[in-house]
Amino acid sequence: MPPRGSDTGFDVEALDALTAVHRFAYHLTRDPVDAEDLVQETYARAYAAREQYRPGTNCTAWLMTICRNTFLQRRARAEREPAVSDSDLEALAAAAVHVSAQAQGFERDAFERPDFQAALTRGLAGLPEVFRAAVVLVDLEDFSYAEAAEVMQVPVGTLRSRLFRGRRLLQEALLDFAIDAGLVSTREGGAT
Amino acid sequence: MIDCREVMAKLWDFIDGELPRAEFEAIRGHLAECRRCYPHYAFEISFLQALAAVRTAIPAPSRALRDRVRALVTLT
Repeated sequence: MPPRGSDTGFDVEALDALTAVHRFAYHLTRDPVDAEDLVQETYARAYAAREQYRPGTNCTAWLMTICRNTFLQRRARAEREPAVSDSDLEALAAAAVHVSAQAQGFERDAFERPDFQAALTRGLAGLPEVFRAAVVLVDLEDFSYAEAAEVMQVPVGTLRSRLFRGRRLLQEALLDFAIDAGLVSTREGGAT
Repeated sequence: MIDCREVMAKLWDFIDGELPRAEFEAIRGHLAECRRCYPHYAFEISFLQALAAVRTAIPAPSRALRDRVRALVTLT
């Protein structure tokens, strides 16, 4: 079997560049493990695209370009995935929303009002996708945490966290709506 | 004994039926006794009931869509 990539001299030049590429990856990621991952992916992509490499041009620069593009794409991906928050804190924060609602004279009956239902529907539509999906699966479709986690391809703990965050954001949106609609008083100290 | 903070932290898991039996029973017992926690529980139940009702706010698939899907799945 002929050595792969040798026809362009790509393999030799690419391996010569490894130290520099790794260093670059390290500075980009500021993390040794992430740097190694990034280097591996860089080389995998470079190999797949090796036909585009012009022998005699700067192989290191070509690899650096791929490396940085890969890094930026990964970071964009990571930013689209909200960090997992502590789900117990989310639950406690929701209890705090209720305390605040009580203090403002919110009555549970309000949940049954048609305008409240409409506000809830709007609030749900306004949630970021990862929270919205979790809430829809569990609260509208009666999925278990494990089932919803499987659909979203995340660990159960992540699903739980997203679900709780989604619920809390909805409760906050509802309380804002209740205040705007004059359903509750904004006066402090209304609690009994 | 389970305290109020722990009950609040686990309240949704409790309502969602996601807790092991022993923990479920502990929280159920606490809620039956605690005048501070029970209103939170009632609030969350009302909230989740209202949320579940949003399901009906979404129109059912149209006849046309249903027909297209049926055609798709019976092609083979």
